[in-house]
Amino acid sequence: MTDNKTPHHKIPLFLPHSSTSTAANKTGSWRYVRPVYDEKTSPCSAACPAGEDIARIEMLLSRTLIQEACETILEENPFPAVCGRVCFHNCEGACNRGQMDDPVAIQQLERFIGDAAISKTEIPQIKTLPGNGKKVAIAGSGPAGLGAAYFLARLGFACEVFEAASEPGGILRWGIPTYRLPRGVLQKEIRRIKELGVTLNCSAPVNAEMLKTFKNRYDAVFIGCGHGRAIDLQFEGAQKAINGLQFLHNIRARHEMSLNSKRTAAVIGGGNTAIDVARTLIRLGIDPIIVYRRRRQDMPAFDPELQMALDEGVTLKELLTPIAIKGAGRDPAGRQTPYLVTLQKMKVSAMQIEGRARVIPDGDQTETLEIDYIFSAIGAEPEAVWHQAPTGKSSSLNLSHCKLIKDDIPIAYGGDLTNRVKSVADAVASGKQAAIALDTYFKYGWDAVNKAVAGCQVGSGPAVSMAMYLDDDRKNRNPQIVSFNEINTHYFKSASRASVTVLPPGDRIQTFLPVESTLTPEAAVEESQRCFNCGICNACDYCRLYCPEMSVMVEDERRHINLDYCKGCGLCVAECPRNAMALKEENI
Amino acid sequence: MKQVAEGSQAVSEAVRLAKVQVIAAYPITPQTHIVEELSEYCANGTLNARFICVESEHSAMAALIGAASSGVRTFTATSSHGLAYMHELLHWASGARLPIVMTNVNRALGPGWNIWLDQTDSLSQRDTGWIQLYCEDSQDALDTTLIAYRLAESVNLPVMVVLDAFFLSHTYEPVDIPDQETVNTFLPPLSPRFQIDTANPAAFNQFVSPQAYMEMRYNIQTAMQRVPGNYNEIAQDFKAIFGRDPRLAEDVHCDDAEIIFVTAGTTVSTCRQAVDRLRQAGEKAGLLKLKMFRPFPVDFFRQVLNGKQKVAVVDRNCSFGASGIFAQELRAALYNAEAPPEIFGYIAGLGGRDVTPETIEDIYWQTKRADRLQTENIWIGLDQETLKTWRN
Repeated sequence: MTDNKTPHHKIPLFLPHSSTSTAANKTGSWRYVRPVYDEKTSPCSAACPAGEDIARIEMLLSRTLIQEACETILEENPFPAVCGRVCFHNCEGACNRGQMDDPVAIQQLERFIGDAAISKTEIPQIKTLPGNGKKVAIAGSGPAGLGAAYFLARLGFACEVFEAASEPGGILRWGIPTYRLPRGVLQKEIRRIKELGVTLNCSAPVNAEMLKTFKNRYDAVFIGCGHGRAIDLQFEGAQKAINGLQFLHNIRARHEMSLNSKRTAAVIGGGNTAIDVARTLIRLGIDPIIVYRRRRQDMPAFDPELQMALDEGVTLKELLTPIAIKGAGRDPAGRQTPYLVTLQKMKVSAMQIEGRARVIPDGDQTETLEIDYIFSAIGAEPEAVWHQAPTGKSSSLNLSHCKLIKDDIPIAYGGDLTNRVKSVADAVASGKQAAIALDTYFKYGWDAVNKAVAGCQVGSGPAVSMAMYLDDDRKNRNPQIVSFNEINTHYFKSASRASVTVLPPGDRIQTFLPVESTLTPEAAVEESQRCFNCGICNACDYCRLYCPEMSVMVEDERRHINLDYCKGCGLCVAECPRNAMALKEENI
Repeated sequence: MKQVAEGSQAVSEAVRLAKVQVIAAYPITPQTHIVEELSEYCANGTLNARFICVESEHSAMAALIGAASSGVRTFTATSSHGLAYMHELLHWASGARLPIVMTNVNRALGPGWNIWLDQTDSLSQRDTGWIQLYCEDSQDALDTTLIAYRLAESVNLPVMVVLDAFFLSHTYEPVDIPDQETVNTFLPPLSPRFQIDTANPAAFNQFVSPQAYMEMRYNIQTAMQRVPGNYNEIAQDFKAIFGRDPRLAEDVHCDDAEIIFVTAGTTVSTCRQAVDRLRQAGEKAGLLKLKMFRPFPVDFFRQVLNGKQKVAVVDRNCSFGASGIFAQELRAALYNAEAPPEIFGYIAGLGGRDVTPETIEDIYWQTKRADRLQTENIWIGLDQETLKTWRN
């Protein structure tokens, strides 16, 4: 037996083997395409009227950087806790994750971040510029006026807000019921605006005469008075209907209401005010019926809100329009008798107007509704002539969310007065756009405004970004919006969307308390991890892991490609889960 | 301890006893039982090895090349198309001088989709620089696998241990499965002659210019030529420890034989029986068991077959346009012998067709009757009725 511990007559091995570094072989010379970090635009951020950097917000939250996430929202929107409750979250409809399982619960996350910020004593760091010596008067303290004040103050303007009502907030304070937006939440977010040095004058209505005097005292004016007057119904007996907006205002002002419970009410209209009126009525013990001339799918009201109303017991009658209100006298016993409302039946015609079905009377078919109260909520319009920009001015600029005219001083009109979509986020967007426009005007003149506004567009949509205006890194992002098929879904596992506790309908109609809870910190962080972070680098490092040449370098937490050795194979770009990279042809 | 085991199990037991550290494999009939058992051993901790699931045989071999380069003992098993798919990396493994051991279960290649025995899959990899060892029965499979590790590690070349589909891989018979302690005395842990080491950064298998490539190839050839000698030494150790003698080639009744069969795999067992019967009938039949095919043990064959009259090679394979591959190799080996015998090449039992003792006896009588070699390519048992249908 031979000793098996000794090698068998080993011959020297002659192998391709070298301890010399291969650094001398600059494989970068082989390259004809080069990878670049090319951050793009997430579809949610382009869909958000306020242009919030949602992909980044969720990335920060996923790392439990709640303060930083809040600061990122506050770059673009002073109202995360408010919008986390009342915004119609177009972002979620655009969310790429929705094509894999369910959209990220962006609104709930915004609410969580907003609530976390207002419950803390630490003040978020908001980027502001030093004072520029300019003063701006702002008429109206709704989301547009307060938005304008917030962004103008950050740009260095001294802002003075004039509010007709006794408290600031406009529609947020007086129009939205407390089960959707509690007063304390709004007050805390408004306090943050005041802390920027904004002066708020309440019970201080502006009128046309005052406006004329502003040019002597201010350098610019922002008008965001909203649509304060309800549109009147026009038919026999229409004056018997109660103004829905006024009703909501009275409820929020805790005015005594002479309504009896266990009665019925018709709410005429199909917008959000109609829903808010109906849901308020059911909380007062009144049985509401929403009467709408088109169909449910044509309603301008936000459908989840309508669904909540239906769940709570509100009735919806479609394709009916009132043509007369009669009755409501007193019976011999002195009791009030109900109104008799004549409703014309409507039918859908083949034509469409702006995507909504056009309805026409269905012959002379009518039905009669016996009802105790009638509320009108068919829309609103500006309350005074001076609320609107005068037409025919030679120097006027129509921007996506505001209108700017050059009188003796520049005057910007925003909010519902100018916005195609009447929403809180669009109102905030108009305040921001006006601030950017005015700042550009004072720095670079009238002709520079259009270009400056276009330069901070999110994607190619109407939303503008203050961060981009202030030259944040975000300015360098490619406006291309990342689509679902550009996401490398191999990196993502299906995960169910976070859900919040919702009071059962039977319980919620007993009270004006909030219907939904805020996510717990654990649930919020977990939900934020569902975000693809479309188009932005979240330092996942798959590019670095897969690079066969080890050419992905990280310095100061930023990645770059070592072009001496990058062969341009494109693996990094193919592996990037979120399309934050691109391959560019070399100029040979 | 003897126990009844499947041929596949004999291999997986040997791999366990060899304390293999990395296994990467992709399933293919009729090899699957081998890695199935090993995956269970890895999962339940019987074997402290990493089992890498891969998406193809090409990747399986690539994974082993990586693992073996880092200095660990490796194993895979495959068959037929899986082996063909590995082809590129078979060259790489030998060129990189990695002592990888692989079991190939001989299976026919499609089309004519067929999962049964045919040796063409492994034999068509003969030029890849792998040592090839063919097994006769389950015990042979276990013993050869253990030897394969010693052999591979002695010359830094990969070894393919080859088993017949089903006749061996799926047949149960008594096998002596040694205990770990005994195996440890035969097979020490791998001490790699080179390995990837982060403390000593180096490039392996990079660009080589014409100034050095040829010497590297000569180095492989030199190592291959050492294989028979090393094998014999290892086999002696093996015999001393386990009491069995797994010779690289075995001659049975060859001294006075007039006709000597040469074959490999399970056909050897069949030949043993036929030769016994022929001897009982007074015929001078002999048998040479071909265990090592690569390197081809030329010296052994020249020594045993020089001066003999007739050799009948039974090939369960065919190199189309030439002949059976064993016959071809044997002719080449004996051409320069002083007094080479006449070599009759028979092709039989392709695609799992039975080769019975009667088939072997038929071959014996055909060989005996032939005055001289008519053709190098005699096909056994072709169905004449089928042939008639396409003869025009």
